[in-house]
Amino acid sequence: MKFFLSLLLLISMSYATDSTIEVIKKVEALPSLSIEDSSVDYNDTFKLEFFKTLVADMNVISIFNVDRHYRLVKYEDTNVIVENKDVNYVLRYKMSEGDGSSLNISIKLFKAGEEVLAKNYKVNRQDIFMFVSHTIAYDINEFMGESSVEWMKRKVIFSRIVAPKKSEIVISDYTLSYQHAIIKGGFNVFPKWANKEQNSFYYTTLDTEKPTLKFVDIKTAQIQSVISSDGMIVCSDVSENADKLLLTMAIDGQPDIYIYDVNTKQYVRETKYKGIDVGAHFKDKDSIVFISDRLGSPNVFFKKIGKEEVDQMVYYGLNNSACSAHGQYIVYKARESSNVFSKNTFNLHLISTETDFIRRLTATGVNEFPKFSDDGDAILFIKNYKAQSSIGIIRLNHNKNYLFPLKYGKLQAMDW
Amino acid sequence: MKSIVLSGVVASLLFFSGCSDKSPAVDEMAQVPTQEVKAVETETVSSENSVVNATSEDIAVSDSSSSESVGNNTDSQLSMSDIESTLTTVYFDFDKFNIKPEMQSNISTDAKIVTSSASAYNIKLEGNCDEWGSDEYNFALGLKRADSVKKSLTAEGVDASRIVMVSYGESNPACHDKTQECWSKNRRVDFSLLP
Repeated sequence: MKFFLSLLLLISMSYATDSTIEVIKKVEALPSLSIEDSSVDYNDTFKLEFFKTLVADMNVISIFNVDRHYRLVKYEDTNVIVENKDVNYVLRYKMSEGDGSSLNISIKLFKAGEEVLAKNYKVNRQDIFMFVSHTIAYDINEFMGESSVEWMKRKVIFSRIVAPKKSEIVISDYTLSYQHAIIKGGFNVFPKWANKEQNSFYYTTLDTEKPTLKFVDIKTAQIQSVISSDGMIVCSDVSENADKLLLTMAIDGQPDIYIYDVNTKQYVRETKYKGIDVGAHFKDKDSIVFISDRLGSPNVFFKKIGKEEVDQMVYYGLNNSACSAHGQYIVYKARESSNVFSKNTFNLHLISTETDFIRRLTATGVNEFPKFSDDGDAILFIKNYKAQSSIGIIRLNHNKNYLFPLKYGKLQAMDW
Repeated sequence: MKSIVLSGVVASLLFFSGCSDKSPAVDEMAQVPTQEVKAVETETVSSENSVVNATSEDIAVSDSSSSESVGNNTDSQLSMSDIESTLTTVYFDFDKFNIKPEMQSNISTDAKIVTSSASAYNIKLEGNCDEWGSDEYNFALGLKRADSVKKSLTAEGVDASRIVMVSYGESNPACHDKTQECWSKNRRVDFSLLP
């Protein structure tokens, strides 16, 4: 009996951390959370906007069953309101306007009616309230001792097509609530953060005679040309320490993968196949995964840097034309239907290089540009469905997807 | 060069890092610290039709663009656009970059124009795709289409050094409807002439 119990425990532990295993039903129900507003300043529209943002953030951390009812209560009250008496957790907040139109927010977290956490936040402008909301969610997630949602604090950079051959490059928060167009005018695509600090980025401009990779230092507002190529040039990935770039270039009209050294400004051609090789990502510092049509249709392949040998990574899907890697996991975009233009056209799938499991992560629309968070906890992606562009977040270990629609334009590419 | 507005997000969103201490702890009510969160600054560092703080290369690009716009008003530019309008678009099948037999006559006609009335100009081949995917693969597909047209043109006697290529992926649709007929119009290679 002991042996079987040990075996069962061993098996469950070995699968517990495998993200390709889908959590169908959790035995334990999530604790309930209600949110109470104690704000005196600001109009009702703004109050409700902040409340909705906070509800969305608390949902995304995926550790509470969040009540969506908006309730007003005095901040100083020691007890939660009667409707929330049986709720496991109550988050109470108060917004007040400070000097120079700054926004001050105080929060209290109650557990079973007892105050267990209190914090204050301040930003000098009201219109960036969403970042306070994200930070509150991050802090509560930390307080609850859950796995980090550090990615919530990261900035998203994306390109938006606004008209044929016209685009904008925009910096936003992960929900697209805050948006700042950093490059307007012209035809600029494929933005990519240049480092972990997110203080500079690369993008491709198609306004020059040859497509050119540009580098922008956000702090100094300087733009530099990095390298040009006939046909196309895209920065597909940046190495961990930001000194190497994986580029797709077509110097002789042939799209291939190159590794560019930021310090020496030299590049090395990594693939030489006569078809299409694109979209490379570092799997680790010595190997890459990339997309190639060398077997007749696009699929995910693996190769060691500097070696000739190439291995097929994915055996499911008809048109696997984008991927991202994190440790043993690879997320890729696949067309499943044999009907080229059917509604359910492109979905994201997750595989592990150590098991044979395949987990489908999306169900409808065209889902693409999957990007792992640095810690592998979440995947950010673009969804285009029924003429609506959205950024989606997949919480792998919580089996939940969240969508944040773009107000106008169509998302072309993004990075976070 | 198209107008570029580069707006700095100096210290943008960086207030995250200063928002809270990482260690989960129950704060004492009497000592709740107020966390100062830095604002997102959105200063505009350059204005329309100019590039401030650009490198010399950027300025050079900007200059060449302005001379282009001056040239637009000349007779030779009008003539160039007239010739351009006679060049025919080459269409492709879904996820394919080989030249269809029925498109070969378009290319032959284009090759004759390129080697006669358009012989004073360079040719830019613009590869395009339908909306099924905006990723790098789609851009590469557009490029391979342009490359197929380039190879066909050179086979018909056009000097390869006169041809440059670019791919716009799905970002330059000729038709916006959600129909198969419309998508087929977007899988194409357009010609434009360069002075």
